[in-house]
Amino acid sequence: MSLFTRKESLPIPPKDAERYTTVCQYCSAGCGYNVYVWPVGRNGSAKNNAFGIDLSMQSPMLSGHSYTETMHNVITRKNGISYNLAIVPAKESRINKGNYSVRGGTNAIAAWSDTGYTKKRLKQPLLKKGDSFAAISWTDAVEIIATLTKASIDRYGADSIAMKFYDHGSSGLGFEDNWAAGKLFLSGIRTNHLSIHNRPAYNSEVWGTRERGMHELNYDVDDARLADTVVLWGANAYEAATILYTEHIMPNLQGASMDEKKSAFDTGEPAAEGRLIVIDPRKNASVTVAQAIAGGRVLHIRPNLGTDWILANAIARIAWENGWYDKAFLEKRTDMKTFEEYKAKSLQLAKPLNDLLAEAEKITGVSRKEMEQAAEWIAKPKSGGFRARTLTIYEKGIIWNMKNYDQVAAIAQLSVLTANIGRPGTGCGREGGHQEGYVRPPAPTPGSIYAGGPPKNVDKFLTGGGGKIYWVGATDPYLSTPNSQFFRKVLKKRSATLLDHIDHGGVPSDPKELVARVLDAFEKTDGLFMVVQDIYMTQTGNDAMLILPAAGWGEAADTSINCHSRLLRIYDKFMDAPGEALPDWKILSMVGMKLRELYTAAGNKEMADRFSDMDWKSDEEVFLAGSREFGDNRVPETEEAKLSPECYKGVTHQILRKLGNTGIQTPVRVDPSTGKLVGTKRRYKYSFATTDGRFRWYGTDPWSGYPPEVAKYVGNPKYPYWFTTGRSQLVWQTMYHDRYLPEKYFALPLPYIEVHPEDAAHLGIRGGDMVEVFNEEGSSIALVYVNDACKPGLVFGIMYHAKGSMNHLTSSYTDPKTTMPWYKGTKVGIRPYHGTPDEAIRTTSLLPNNNFS
Amino acid sequence: MSPLNRREFLQTSSASLALAVLGLSGKADGAAANKYPSIRIGNIRDLKTGEPVQFNYPDKSSPCNVVMLNGNAVGGIGPFSNVVAFSALCPHMGCPVNYSNGRFVCGCHYSMFDAAKNGQTYQGLASQWLAQVSLRLDKASGNIYAEGIEGLVYGRIGNLNIS
Ligand code: SF4
Ligand code: FES
Repeated sequence: MSLFTRKESLPIPPKDAERYTTVCQYCSAGCGYNVYVWPVGRNGSAKNNAFGIDLSMQSPMLSGHSYTETMHNVITRKNGISYNLAIVPAKESRINKGNYSVRGGTNAIAAWSDTGYTKKRLKQPLLKKGDSFAAISWTDAVEIIATLTKASIDRYGADSIAMKFYDHGSSGLGFEDNWAAGKLFLSGIRTNHLSIHNRPAYNSEVWGTRERGMHELNYDVDDARLADTVVLWGANAYEAATILYTEHIMPNLQGASMDEKKSAFDTGEPAAEGRLIVIDPRKNASVTVAQAIAGGRVLHIRPNLGTDWILANAIARIAWENGWYDKAFLEKRTDMKTFEEYKAKSLQLAKPLNDLLAEAEKITGVSRKEMEQAAEWIAKPKSGGFRARTLTIYEKGIIWNMKNYDQVAAIAQLSVLTANIGRPGTGCGREGGHQEGYVRPPAPTPGSIYAGGPPKNVDKFLTGGGGKIYWVGATDPYLSTPNSQFFRKVLKKRSATLLDHIDHGGVPSDPKELVARVLDAFEKTDGLFMVVQDIYMTQTGNDAMLILPAAGWGEAADTSINCHSRLLRIYDKFMDAPGEALPDWKILSMVGMKLRELYTAAGNKEMADRFSDMDWKSDEEVFLAGSREFGDNRVPETEEAKLSPECYKGVTHQILRKLGNTGIQTPVRVDPSTGKLVGTKRRYKYSFATTDGRFRWYGTDPWSGYPPEVAKYVGNPKYPYWFTTGRSQLVWQTMYHDRYLPEKYFALPLPYIEVHPEDAAHLGIRGGDMVEVFNEEGSSIALVYVNDACKPGLVFGIMYHAKGSMNHLTSSYTDPKTTMPWYKGTKVGIRPYHGTPDEAIRTTSLLPNNNFS
Repeated sequence: MSPLNRREFLQTSSASLALAVLGLSGKADGAAANKYPSIRIGNIRDLKTGEPVQFNYPDKSSPCNVVMLNGNAVGGIGPFSNVVAFSALCPHMGCPVNYSNGRFVCGCHYSMFDAAKNGQTYQGLASQWLAQVSLRLDKASGNIYAEGIEGLVYGRIGNLNIS
């Protein structure tokens, strides 16, 4: 009867079960979890167990202890013995307090199990042989890559090697893997054709704030409970950073954090139930949940796509006109020379207020009244003259907007103008996607066009025929890169060209013979040698010559920080990786060491030296090697702004194991008076991260319409709908795990779009129908859900899904200042598609996911 | 998990909450160890579309809802396969769920479960779907019997392992 086999009881961990602490492998919230491992058959009892809870009783609601069907699995270690694995939310974590989301609740069933859902993990290095792959040894795989890399550097220069790797933490990655990737690609190979997992270049997503002297992770999760007003700007926290919303923003709206406010605020300062401003074209669940809780204290503003920086500047101008800023703060903490530029270009003080606001209304589609309301909530001092406390959290709606640099800068500057930084209940930063864990040698491009940039667009380099080797780590660009249909088409062809050239009488297994043929192909064709390093086979991987199996979360000890507190914790190893899979740092280390050996043998000491210091023996060794990049951190609290935001110098895996779910907040300092390691709760209380400690202002560009890549659709009746993309609450990224979990693939069986009822009626489609979404970039087939999240004329699509990508439709535009794509805005046509997805409709819910009433 | 959450519940969903609280100390009545009891939970002729009726199953501390939906449902019984029953405890953290418009909504963190689609979480925080009660219809009398549960009732190590 049930769509899949359900569990009706769970094994109990005995008192002596192995225990580990970890952090959720998924989103930026970074919820704490406890892990229990014990041999199958050696269960504890209801009264005597590792949870320390009497399990013979029905547990009350909100007890903080949850152990559900998705929190248990059976795993097999390399010793051949089967173990029970329980991964439950940590009540003692101040991030989640026992709470968890629909994604993190599956940490256990997503673990590799040869009897469970996740059998399909990659277990051996694979070499493409015609139509299929054959297993090869690590020795051969490493020799093939290293030899080809050396030959490409020697013959065509280091820039002939392109890479696309993560820069984030969690997902089984962390400081360890990031340091290893940095050593190999940035210190060793030194190619300029670097790109980060979710974008075509090696850039910060937020240079617009970093170049002001304000790193994007500057607030603490407590600030979401302390703020008078929380602003979610292009950040759908309920669905994308769920616990930030439900454990911290929601209680603030409900008035449950009043006591905390009273003790954190200044004497006599008014404290009230929180307010929420959501700035998002969609009436998504972050809006409607808040409205269900506190309708009158929720402001939803829906700007036209791409216009947010004009809105931010207009709100700032209203605050300025009303004197809702702190002159002393501006003069003491910010650079008054560049402030003139900000006043002229962003606040446009030369333009009468009425003209400026009328213009802003026209561009953004937001009414003056809403702008005034927002300005008041963000900036108006409270009674008694106390400064407002506003926490502004932005994410991909801003980062992946048109004009990335100006969007981020405008929001950062609005916060600093109104002094909403460095105090309890304030801050201005990212919501985050993944967690973080970045430590690498300096990147070749230090910043935007204002600071040595922009970085190279690697997608354009590859689709233009450039490069010989493309090494992809833990990402699937066929789904995730902008304009992906074109990208896929060209890379498929270039890979096939290479394969065709080397496949005469079959693809040789002998590494030397193989390398010789590949080098011949490099000489005579535009063939591309793709290497994919991942935990599962990917769509990109299908076209790769070489697949490298990586260890996942829980299969090696990793360290990362979350985004809402920069909380550094250990994500401990509690199980073995499948087959011969290895941690990323180990794979990168083997290739680096082989390159060193090859260059040494060739008598090239200079090149050999570039690959030195990569022979790490343990995960902790890589962690410690990375920490040396941070420089001296013996500084007093007043100089925390001088520290690298993720600095963890002095911390060891052992220390983190002791700290468990408590962790320590980066930047970590050695306190000069006590000599002890101390974390940083909240940043920029004393100064900003510039040479003189003052915030650097920037005058944003005026509105100049849409870029040609999108402007070409405006007014064309073939493409009547604006199109934006985003995530679903239910699944993580490309669904690399979720595609195998029935709770997820039955609920979200196909790539989908959400359409307003009026548009659906006009198109003659209903929920559960299939459509083709198309424009001149490409097309995607999608299942239709009907709801009122989008206004008529705007359509939303899941950014990508195991079975397809909406990035076929996104343009190749990137911000010329940063090379950041505009994933979130283009125009499309829609036509009904014939054929009914019977199976999908039988399982998926067609009920609107933004209606809670 | 703020105290206010709990207070709000008392206001917004007092009926189902009371049921859950009453049941806390309940001893399994009729639940033989490791075997689901067959319990008559109502008559199909008494059910009105969209109006849930509460019952306890497999024991007093496990509140459930039976509801007649507008259309057919996974696991539905009756001539239109539209009568389904589910645990009333949210599989996220155990708060009571309330039925409206084809789904169960939890007031704690707003998980929503589609009653026609196996109690699936289509929005919200519950990684586990709502546990669905297996029903049998006695055609002659119209009596509905609960005879098992697919999925784990929140807050238990086993559906039948509560003392
Ligand atoms: S909110 Fe994020 S970190 Fe927390 S459990 Fe969910 S996916 Fe994991
Ligand atoms: S208890 Fe959290 S959504 Fe129901």
